Amino acid sequence: MVATDIVRPPERWVSRNLTAALAAVGLLLACAAPLVLNGYALYLLTLAEIFALVALGLNFLTGYAGQISLCHAAFFGVGAYATALLTTKAGLPYLVSLPLSALLTTAIGAVVAVPALRLKSLYLAIATLGFGVVLQKIIFEWRDLTGGGGGLALGAPTVAGHELGATGLHFLTLAFVVVGLWGAYNMSRGRTGRALLLIKESEIAAASLGIDIARYKVTAFAVSAFYAAIAGGLYAYLVRYINPESFNVGLSIGFLSMVVIGGLGTIGGSIVGAAFYVIVPELLRGIKDAPGLVFGLLLVIVMVFMPRGLWGVLRQLLNQLPGKR
Amino acid sequence: MIGNLVVGGLAAGCLYAMVGIAIAIVLNITDIANFAQGEMAMITTFFAYWLLEDIGLAWWQAVSIAAVFGLMQGIIVQQVVIRPLIGSPVLSAIIATLGLNIVLNSLAGLIWGHQTYTFPSPFTFSAPFHVAGVAIPVASIVNIAVALAIIAGMTLLLRFTWMGLGLRAASQNQTVARLMGVSITKSSAIAWGLGGLVGGIAGMLVAPAVFLDTNLMGTLLIKAFAGGVLGGLNSLIGVFLGCLAFGVAENLAGAYLSPSFADAITFLVIIAVLIVRPEGIFGRVKVRKA
Repeated sequence: MVATDIVRPPERWVSRNLTAALAAVGLLLACAAPLVLNGYALYLLTLAEIFALVALGLNFLTGYAGQISLCHAAFFGVGAYATALLTTKAGLPYLVSLPLSALLTTAIGAVVAVPALRLKSLYLAIATLGFGVVLQKIIFEWRDLTGGGGGLALGAPTVAGHELGATGLHFLTLAFVVVGLWGAYNMSRGRTGRALLLIKESEIAAASLGIDIARYKVTAFAVSAFYAAIAGGLYAYLVRYINPESFNVGLSIGFLSMVVIGGLGTIGGSIVGAAFYVIVPELLRGIKDAPGLVFGLLLVIVMVFMPRGLWGVLRQLLNQLPGKR
Repeated sequence: MIGNLVVGGLAAGCLYAMVGIAIAIVLNITDIANFAQGEMAMITTFFAYWLLEDIGLAWWQAVSIAAVFGLMQGIIVQQVVIRPLIGSPVLSAIIATLGLNIVLNSLAGLIWGHQTYTFPSPFTFSAPFHVAGVAIPVASIVNIAVALAIIAGMTLLLRFTWMGLGLRAASQNQTVARLMGVSITKSSAIAWGLGGLVGGIAGMLVAPAVFLDTNLMGTLLIKAFAGGVLGGLNSLIGVFLGCLAFGVAENLAGAYLSPSFADAITFLVIIAVLIVRPEGIFGRVKVRKA
């Protein structure tokens, strides 16, 4: 990496407007989707949006701050369980328990960040993986509260006295994605995003410029845990049955794959990566015997030919469109 | 009681150590954590099984041929998947190995199905040694001996040969190594070949202890990483001891503290160690100028 990668040239007017247009088209399509999609396809769309939320947060941590986390599935799970329990056992309204549980998970994320202040790369990956295992185990063993390995079955969520159906949950998720995108966009372009990028490149350089490394790393962990928890709370009521087993290391690795496939350190990449991860296996389901084989091959091919992710390629294509100045 | 637990932990730990060493070889030279290492080893083991059962070779012949197969497999994987990614973000290469992991797993499923096989070992029926009333299985002793032999061999190779010098140079600073005439692609291929070789040997020694199926390496891989991090990934002997310690800690925590929290406790210990020694117990801080 060289300095020009950090101090990006001002984005071209065309490219920026095209990205905005793309976002608008995507939003319109997502709004219109419930009109045409049937039950299962709508479920998949909502799932992709939920995963996109996690990927947005994780990209902030991994793509910007350069910190690997293998405990995001556990954050996701804590968000799911906390939301479900606050709603069913404490009787709070869904829209209150969702942010409450996200705040709880944010606090946990800030605690996890403490060893991260000293650890790097694989050491950090294993330490966060350890936290993931611990959190998952706590959910599993706290049977009185969480139902343990038997899981937790949930009814339809209610918002302001109205039961939220599949379409309603889709729009609620979409609203969170839009807010999440806006937040990620602002954070990444603001002081925090620039500080994190510099920390990723060189902690010494960052420290010598007066950037409080510890504070920003903790912030990055906390913010990404917040995103994961909100997504978890939505996920719990999308699938309406949660089980500690599903929030395992495999899911954490899946989240990381989404971010890398989409494009590290790009906001659009989080969306594209999550969509890829949810939709492609579904498309491959028809292939007899080998959906895993084809999906794995696609993963390898995408990485070998587009090491900067799908979004990087997309942006390059957009920049090459005719009419560019 | 505690003696049996420790020996059982060491037996499990040396299985982790075998895989961990294969991972550490590739990681130290190329900076890439190979998530496909376990599945590559699984394929090699299945290949050995095929040689044994369908071709009818003797154990030693099958294992030697399969070891060469493992070496070739590592080089091929490097040429096809890793070579185009040299110079790209390391995470991209890691995710590519993750994809490869899925590919190899489903490929093995297609060829050998999802049933379990029993991989033979010449040591299965040997009587265990008895030391102070604790039975020590012969297979564990063989595994530890093989792991130590691999470590010794790798250390000699890296310290005392021109190839080893080139590999170490490439791992420290690729640009300077290249200026000194070390081919980065070649050293990366050698590293992956060695990783494939050691991984394959690990697979064939692990398989008799557990059942041979397509998920042979699923849990081993994560535990090998964890043990390696505990000991310090840039020291092979550190990886070895870390994995043994992980196996023992897991067993003791399961017996004395809480069976259901054994994993969690082991990981908490690792995190605690890492907070004090961020590069692992035996790890050295790698000085690298970007």
